[in-house]
This record gives sequence, structure tokens and C-alpha cells, in this order.
Amino acid sequence: MSEIGSISILLSFFISIYSLVFSIIGVKKRNRSFVKSAENGLIAIFLLLLFAGGSLIYELITLNFSIKYVALNTSTDLPLIYRISSLWAGQAGSLLLWSIILSGFTAVVVIQNRNKDRDFQPYVNATLAVISLFFLFLITYVENPFEKLDFIPNEGRGLNPILQNGYMAIHPLTLYIGYVGISIPFAFGMAALISGKLDDNWIRNSRKWALFAWTFLSVGLLLGARWAYLELGWGGYWAWDPVENAAFMPWLAGTAFLHSIMIQERKGMFKKWNIILLIITFFLTIFGTFLTRSGIVSSVHSFAQSDIGPLFLGFIAFILLFSFSIFTYRLKEFESKEKFDSLLSRESAFVFNNLLFLAAAFTVFLGTIFPILSEAITGNKILVGPPYFNKVNVPIGLVLILLMGVGPLISWRKASPNNLKKNFLIPAIFGIATGILLLILGIREFVAVATFSICAFVTSTIFIEFFRGVKVRSKRGENYLVAFSNLVSKNRRRYGGYIIHLGVVLIVIGITSSSVFLTQREVVLSKGDSFDLGRYTLVFEGVKTFSNDAKDGTVATLALFDGNKNLGNMTPEKNIYKYEGNREINQETEVALRSTIRDDLYLILSNSTDDGRASIRALLNPMVSWIWGGGIFILLGALVAMWPGVKFARFHSFIPEISGTRRKTS
Amino acid sequence: MKGKYKIIIAILVVVTGISYLVFAGVKDTFVYYLTIDELITKVPEVYNDKVRVSGTVVTGSIDNNIDRSLKFKITDGDAVVDVEYQGIVPDIFADDVEAVVEGTLNEQNIFKADLLLAKCPTKYEGEDQLKNPNGYQYKKEKG
Repeated sequence: MSEIGSISILLSFFISIYSLVFSIIGVKKRNRSFVKSAENGLIAIFLLLLFAGGSLIYELITLNFSIKYVALNTSTDLPLIYRISSLWAGQAGSLLLWSIILSGFTAVVVIQNRNKDRDFQPYVNATLAVISLFFLFLITYVENPFEKLDFIPNEGRGLNPILQNGYMAIHPLTLYIGYVGISIPFAFGMAALISGKLDDNWIRNSRKWALFAWTFLSVGLLLGARWAYLELGWGGYWAWDPVENAAFMPWLAGTAFLHSIMIQERKGMFKKWNIILLIITFFLTIFGTFLTRSGIVSSVHSFAQSDIGPLFLGFIAFILLFSFSIFTYRLKEFESKEKFDSLLSRESAFVFNNLLFLAAAFTVFLGTIFPILSEAITGNKILVGPPYFNKVNVPIGLVLILLMGVGPLISWRKASPNNLKKNFLIPAIFGIATGILLLILGIREFVAVATFSICAFVTSTIFIEFFRGVKVRSKRGENYLVAFSNLVSKNRRRYGGYIIHLGVVLIVIGITSSSVFLTQREVVLSKGDSFDLGRYTLVFEGVKTFSNDAKDGTVATLALFDGNKNLGNMTPEKNIYKYEGNREINQETEVALRSTIRDDLYLILSNSTDDGRASIRALLNPMVSWIWGGGIFILLGALVAMWPGVKFARFHSFIPEISGTRRKTS
Repeated sequence: MKGKYKIIIAILVVVTGISYLVFAGVKDTFVYYLTIDELITKVPEVYNDKVRVSGTVVTGSIDNNIDRSLKFKITDGDAVVDVEYQGIVPDIFADDVEAVVEGTLNEQNIFKADLLLAKCPTKYEGEDQLKNPNGYQYKKEKG
């Protein structure tokens, strides 16, 4: 099987060169069959890479240790599901998966646009072929997942135990889809620059991809946070580690892009800016991969590292140089239609949205590469930790959330006092009332009071929007439910956006509560000891040891009481994996978690002695589950916004005619 | 035009604010990342400065007490530093891994850490480890 895989990736590599060359020749010489042939090549790459992926999965499942990748990432005791997920546990497999996803998306783009924009689409294909080419080069010549060992080990190295977790199995996949998805709008943007067709068509045809990629990035980030929370056993979900930042930066820039393309569609402004944002976002996805894979910044996450760092740097340099030079070349051809009228307008809300998202991305970028910068400039390695990121990003985040309430409702061009009063009076009252109420309740943490007030403000703007829409429709005789569903389905992007905003509010509330109002205790317990944490009382019933094929475990049992009510047992564990294969880690802390909508009780068994004492770290993290709940809202909102509606289908059927007439006139 | 000027001024205000946040954030939170060698040559002026140091955990030096005080030694192969730490110990932390500690060196030359990170020692996906003819052995029971 591995031969099929090797040949498939080698062929794909050459076909991507072919498709690149023939796309460009085809569009230059107006030779349709060349373009078509290049497109078929891109589809063939996808099929070939599916074969390659399939054969690697086959080798992983059957544990063919003669293949280096299999030997390094699996072992005989690994369950089937994690043998499959080993496909993205190591470097070479991750790069293969990356290529498969990219080629899959490329194939969809090719098929969707087969008869459209013949003088534009080949450039999209060519750009995607270049990106493919880079990754296929890596897996063919540098990090080949099918590389053979010259001996056959009896046993493989195994999969890191902390990666043997359901969230870890899907989190990288989700993030990759998000990362790779950004390539599609980037390719459309590049095609616009290369072809000189700088109208809004490229945005219209790629914005769903942008939203799609963004959704996967968001969900991927949250899954990663949840994995860290459940598996790493330190009680938190985000540590501003370079690897986390690597995924967060493209999300920030991508969020700015998603917002600012709306203003180009509606008002014809920000055309240059959108291209720049897109280049930055794509750069950050590649840079993020470089950061995690090259080991240039030290991270607690253990990633397989290798020599592909310089190649990535070269690719990044190529992307930036190429895209900015062609951008400069086209600079004079952009036409901006409208000008700003007023500071109090939706246009300016968008400006500040973009400014702040980009500033956040920049400050995260700066903090992440600070050790490299400072070493280069001063000779001393200086780093900035989580306090830096929090200090800088919390204020930026607060203003952004405020804008999230203002932006969607403030008038275009210039907001009149009447408009402001109509849209913001009630929400402002809600916001201020929330603040006062919290102060009366005795909460003195300024950040929390400010955040909750702003969240109340934003939430009420969103609810009022829904309420008004439903009221107007119900006056026309629709009952409330019908009115609601019609309201949303007639304007999916808008109301999908509101649902996403609501999800963001939930996440912000969760993050604020769990970081500001966290309580924790460290206790050393003998059998029968008890301690209180918040409303809970925990009674220690002793430690037990157990042993199975995979591990030696120590498990502490604590009976949990809320007042007098027995809520069952909590059993944090500390396990030592017998199998030495994956040397990076053989100890694993298994936390005990009781999650409610109000708070999470999180128990860590830190240590235990032979005479039956145990030291326990207990955390009460308020409202963490709101973060995951917010993630569900984001996913739901994105689905609403992306769902192909009636309008969309009609829009599509017009396309061939429109592009047909354009071709004749040009 | 008036609106445009207002926006430019507002942007300037925002950018200035963010620059200040970055400046203040860096100024208040930065720590020097030193090698063990640099730490030792900086004695005594380094006493009570917050620094980050990394080194390999000396095999057998880990003394993990039930009351959660963790003592161990780190080395760069040459000099050795005593570390005391209280808090969450990462799973990867063990003999011979690279430990990163943040805290201060006190006048008894004991490094009081308030942050402990550990990194895996293997930098590359080496195939040497696979060359053991028996593959991997099951780990001996830990005492």
C-alpha cells in the first residue's frame, strides 16, 4: 500500500506543476482546453491524495512498522480510532492531511466555477496550485510520510498519551480545515490582483469560504481550549502559549476581514484594505504553521520539529513579496466609491472594528516573537508572559465587544440623534443597570463589572433586533414562531451574524467569570478529612491504586456534598503509563470535573503517599461551560449564515448569463 | 471632509492608546530569559530579580513532598541550580527533561520558582530510538 501512497504524492506534485503552467498559459492564450486540462489536473490531485491518505491510514491501522511514520506514531496497544488519528499526530502526516484538505477544497472550487469567469478563475486555480506545490514538495522530498526504515522495529514509539483524547483527535483536523480554508479567499484575492478584475466579484464568490474557514478556526480554537482544560490538568484553558497564539492570530485577522468585506459589498469602500487584510490573514496561517513546526519559539506543547523551518520562511517571503508587489502594481486601479461622512456612522464602526482586531493580532504577534526580537536587538532574551497578553488584549477586547453592540445598529453615513436614541437608549439602560446591580451585589472587580455591563448592552441590542423584526412580521398576521423563522431565513447573513455575536457574548462572560472569580484551594488530606470550596464540601475517602495493561493508576475518591445533599463521588487520578515508547510523557493527570451551568468543580490529584494521604488541588471555575455553549452558538450562527437559501440559488442561476454578457462586451 | 478628520483623530487616539498598552504591558511584565551560566555570572545583582531560567533536571534530584513543595536541581551540564517550587507540576516534568522555571534567586542561591514548565527532551523525531532490536520495553514498575 505504501507504494501507492508514494507514487500518488509524487504524481500529485508533478500534476500541480502541470496545472499551474497550463492555467496560466491557458488564460493568457485564451485556450479553453488548456484551462480545462489544468482543472482536471487539480481534481486528479485530490483523488490521488485521497489514495495517499487512504494508504497511509491503512498502514497505520495494520501497524506496518517498516514505515518510519507508522513506527514513530503508533504502537500495538493503540486503539483503532487513535491509529487513524495518528495521521495528524506527526509532522509528515499533518502535512499530507493539509495537502488533502487543500486539494479537496480546490476541487470544490474548480467544480463550482467550471463555467464561470473564464478569464478570472484560472488565476484562482494557479494560485491554489502554487500553494499545493509547496506542501506537496514538502511531503514528497522533505518529510515523506511513506519513508521506509532500513530495518523493521518490533514495536512502534506510540502515540503520546495526552493526545489520546477525543478532543485531540478532532481539534487539529478542525483547525487545519480552518487554516487551509483561508487559502481559498486568498486565491480569489490574488486572482483579482493578477487579472486586474478588482470589482467585488472575487469577494462575492469567496466570502462563504471565508466564513467557512473562520467557523472552523473558531471551533478548532475552542476544541483546543477544551482539550487543554480537560487533559493538561492545570485548571485553565488558555495560556497564551506560542502554539495557541499561532492559531489565534489568523482568527483575529480573519475576523477583521469577514467584517470589512461587508462594507465593500455594501458601500464599495475598503477595497485595498480588504486585499491587505487577506494577505495578512493568509500570511498568519502559514506563519502559525511555521511557528509550531520550526521550534523557533519555545512552547510547552511538544510538537515534532524538523528542518522544514527555513523552507517555510522561504515560502512566507515568497508570498509576501509576490502579493505586495502585485498589489503595488495594481494600486492605482482600485476605485473607492464613497467617503466618510461622520465619526458616528456604521462605516466608522467598521473602521474601528478592523483597527482593533488587527491591533490585537499585532500585539499577540509582537508578544509571541518578543524573545526573538529582543535577542536580535539587545542580545538579551526577554520574554513577555500571559500578564502582557492580558493587559493589552483585555481593553482591546472590551472596546470590540462594545462595538459589537453598536456596529450592527448605527446608521450608515451619519447617525442622527434620533437613530441613536431609537437603537441604543434601551440597551444602554440595560447595560448601566446591570453595572449598578453588580455593584450593589458587592462585586468590586472593575473589569468584571465593565465586561458584564457591556455584555448586557450588546445582548439587549441583539434581542431588540429580533423582537422588532418579529413584531413587524406578526402585525402582518404571522404567528410569532413563523415570523421568527421567516425573519431569520429571509436575511440569513444578518441574523446568523447576530447569533454568532450572542455566542461571543457567552464566551466573553465565561472567560471573565472564570478568570476573575476563580477560587482554589490546595489541601493535604488523610482519610476522613474534609474541606469546603464555595458551596461544596468534599470528604476524602482515600486513595487506591490499580493496574492494567496500559498503566498504573492512583485514584483518590472524594465524596461531594452540596449542603447535606450527596452528589456522588469525584475521582481524580494520576496515571503512569507503563509503555515507555513515547518518551515525552508517561505520566498523566486525569482530573475529576463536575460541570454545571453555574460553575465547574475541578479536582487535581497532585500527589499521594503510601500511607494513604493525598494532596489535592481543587478549583471552582465559575461559568466555564458558557464558553463551550458560546461555541455552539457560533457554529449555529455560522450555519444559518452559510446555509444555501432561496436567494442564493437564484443568484447562482444568474451567474452564467451575467458573465456571458460581460465576456462579449469586453 | 470634517468627518474624515474626526476619524483620523479618533484613529490616532486609538493607536496611541494601544501603543501605550503594549509599552506598559512589556514594561511591567517582561522577564529576562537566562541560561544557567548567565544566571550564575550575574550573581549577586540578579538576586531578587524576576528571571526565567531553563536547564535539564538532574536525574534523581526530584524531591516531591506531599505538602506540595517540590525541590529539584537543574543543570546546563556544568553548573547546578537548586530550585524550590510550589504549584502545579506539569505531567511531562521528570528526570532529565528540560525544565523552565520563573522566579527569583535568593541569597542562599536557591531559586524560588513560581512557574514551572517542562519541555520534552527529544527535538527530532529520531529513528535511533527505534533501532533497539526489541523495540520498546515496558517500563519497570515505579516505586
